[in-house]
Amino acid sequence: MAKKDVHERFLSLAGFEEDEMQEALSDWRRASHRLGLNEEDVEFATEEWIPAHYDVKLEGVRKAIGSYVKETIDLAKASEYKERGVKIVYGILPAILHYYYALKLTAPDKVYVSFPDIVLTHVLNGFFRKLNPYLEEAEKTGIAYGCRHCALNKTRYAAHKLGVIPSPSVSWIWGFVCDEGPKTDEFIQLYHNPEWKTYVTRIPHDQPLGTIEYEVIERVEYLASQMRDGFEYVQRVIGVSVPDEKIKEVMSIWHRYATKVTELNRLMAYDPQPLSGIAASLVKAPLSIPFNTGIESMEGALDILIREVKQRVANKEGILPRGAPKLMISFFPTALPWICKMFEQNGVGILFGEGTMPSKKQLEPPTFDDAYLAAAEAWLRRSAAVNTGAKAQIVAEKLRTYGMDGMIFGFFDFDRWIGSDHRLLSRMVEEETKLPVFYIEGDVWEDRDYSQEALRTRIETIAEIAKMRKV
Amino acid sequence: MNIIEELAQIARTRPETLKKRKENGTKIIGYTGRFIPEELILASGATPYLICRGGEPEPPDAVLPYMLRFMSPFVRAQIGYYLLGMDPVIPILDATVVQCSDCQMARLADLFEYFQLPTARIGIPPDWKKTISADYYYRGLARLRDTLEDLTGNKISDGNLRESIDRVNKVRDLLKKINLLRKEQQPPIGGYDFIRLNHYSFYCDVDEVVEKFSNVYKQLKKGGRLFPEEAPRILLAGHVVSVGDYVVPKLVESSGAVIVAEVLDEGMRQYLRSVKTEGDLMRNLAETYYLERVPPSIFQPAWEERMTFMKELIAGFDVDGVIWYQLSFDEVYDMESSVVSKVMDDMSIPLLKLESSYEYAREATGPLATRVETFIKSIERKRT
Repeated sequence: MAKKDVHERFLSLAGFEEDEMQEALSDWRRASHRLGLNEEDVEFATEEWIPAHYDVKLEGVRKAIGSYVKETIDLAKASEYKERGVKIVYGILPAILHYYYALKLTAPDKVYVSFPDIVLTHVLNGFFRKLNPYLEEAEKTGIAYGCRHCALNKTRYAAHKLGVIPSPSVSWIWGFVCDEGPKTDEFIQLYHNPEWKTYVTRIPHDQPLGTIEYEVIERVEYLASQMRDGFEYVQRVIGVSVPDEKIKEVMSIWHRYATKVTELNRLMAYDPQPLSGIAASLVKAPLSIPFNTGIESMEGALDILIREVKQRVANKEGILPRGAPKLMISFFPTALPWICKMFEQNGVGILFGEGTMPSKKQLEPPTFDDAYLAAAEAWLRRSAAVNTGAKAQIVAEKLRTYGMDGMIFGFFDFDRWIGSDHRLLSRMVEEETKLPVFYIEGDVWEDRDYSQEALRTRIETIAEIAKMRKV
Repeated sequence: MNIIEELAQIARTRPETLKKRKENGTKIIGYTGRFIPEELILASGATPYLICRGGEPEPPDAVLPYMLRFMSPFVRAQIGYYLLGMDPVIPILDATVVQCSDCQMARLADLFEYFQLPTARIGIPPDWKKTISADYYYRGLARLRDTLEDLTGNKISDGNLRESIDRVNKVRDLLKKINLLRKEQQPPIGGYDFIRLNHYSFYCDVDEVVEKFSNVYKQLKKGGRLFPEEAPRILLAGHVVSVGDYVVPKLVESSGAVIVAEVLDEGMRQYLRSVKTEGDLMRNLAETYYLERVPPSIFQPAWEERMTFMKELIAGFDVDGVIWYQLSFDEVYDMESSVVSKVMDDMSIPLLKLESSYEYAREATGPLATRVETFIKSIERKRT
């Protein structure tokens, strides 16, 4: 039998079944070419990077990687979709996904939805370590290197400039956290392509420290109005009308998925730690990124993974020795799996990304019947959406709930909102929980300035402190 | 000019004046940015104090234990002086009103609150073309009005508010007239002095400012040409030249050029538009401050409109070159600088981008001076 070529081996590693291989293979070849990946890159990912960092013995992990690959193949077809008249709707992190999924539920063949920058960043750096050409292209042509701009924004711009993604029918840009995200779209439109159409939705950061924002009715209503306006605009532009019931349906699907993720999180908290945090992080993506290919593939991977991890828990099988310290990190470095691995090599588990982990309040049903008010309330229950004082309380609650031994902030030095309060949060959370809280300056998406060697000593030191405090 | 130096002296001794006023029962209200109408503060009987210092490297660094280091040194400085014990006014403020227009300013509000300084936030939605956003700002002003009334115990009547609007409009009108003198071939005043006039207008009492500015205008009208006829005419654009951050404007003008126009979002009075004194005064304030002025860089959309305004200034003030002055890690301005660069390129207007972290030691100033001088020389050569 002929030896499988590198692309075929890659797809096998990514959990593709024989019956889906044939069609996927030609699609993947085209997609990888479009993304700028050559055979050496795919070989490196297949033989070295992915096996070294992801627990590919587990079918759930392989299938989760496969779900990303399917989404990437689909992303590479976005230009063809556009040519066929499909409406292209983009967004950025963080945004409320319900609307994007509701568009897909309503008109699956007429609409393409994506947060293209995050998909590309996860896949290109997470699996292939090859995001740099995109970043360098952006830096050469208008988004300067020296200002510490966000890699996601650079990637979105460069991906369009390099012809990887088409201009959208509308890019519904959320400035609920940072300023640079929405302004990047204004930049793309004025600097590169006037066809890059944008609708921006924002809310000011004007709540005093400690305010429980979902209880401030005026804020919930304002946010709901902003969302309603934005979604109505998007529907008008693309000519698709979404009934409110579809939004509610999506919210219920999201809730179902979040409940499963919470189950996985609970399993992760067993001692010994049954699964690497980086592997678990893969299946959480649909809670923060809309998959145009749907969540079924990833949900299937999640179900398998939960089953496999349950088995490991039953067998008392762990990736670290019993009693190893367990830390939570503010956002999981999914695009840089070596960070999690380096902690594990030093005897410490990084289990959860706080930002994408649902809080207890998030899992409660909405108090509003109106779809927009309910979505606004849901948003303001998230730690990433609220003021630093309230966020510190949510982080402390999650640390207690899952019996964590400490917390790591940082890796967001490019973000003037989400990353800019981490030093303050460190103080607040440490004071509240009395647990060790660490801050690491770094970048969660790319590591040109914070390489493995640059961070090794820091991580080793934190691991030692975590172990000493645990004793 | 002696009057400017007189104003400088009044501004320098402002902390002592404010301390005495506070002892006599007057409330002192700090505020940041360009969206907090000082008319409201004045109408409540309180004294406004703009928080807008910069130009020194130590205050931004003092904030690093509490804030990301990749934040604008301007924003960091506003609390940094206080942390270093170098700000005599912030500790005596009865309240600080922070405009939450962007992430950086909102984080400044966080730190004011964290250090338990009395703080009030006003949300400024950057998506300013929407009615709901304008209403949001209006409601913020209404809340501020209530806060000021509670704090001072004084009712802000329409009569008081109209009077304070009228007084501040006079300052704006005078600055507008002084500014227009820079259209002359040999401007009687340059950007360094004009920026200082703007600054002093925040640190002297309004009536005093009106009197002094009237005299400044009269003197300037009489003549006294400070700059040679052939001096390259510069538009200075960017985020802010803060109080004390005068190295760049001084350097530009000591290198043989004259700054004839500015596009700066903060630290300057937005003097081109006056607030109407008829009808609903609160609505008037909201409309002028939020909707009628040239949008700041953070607004969206803003850059196209800002480029149009820059083009008007370039034509109207016969500008030869643009200096884009930005602060390190001011991410939105950094992106805008690329757009400006493209537009200037299309217009064949020379552009120099300068970036500062308030490091003005001799080692840093030398290369800065070389860049500025080279830029100005190149404009002179181009002209000849």
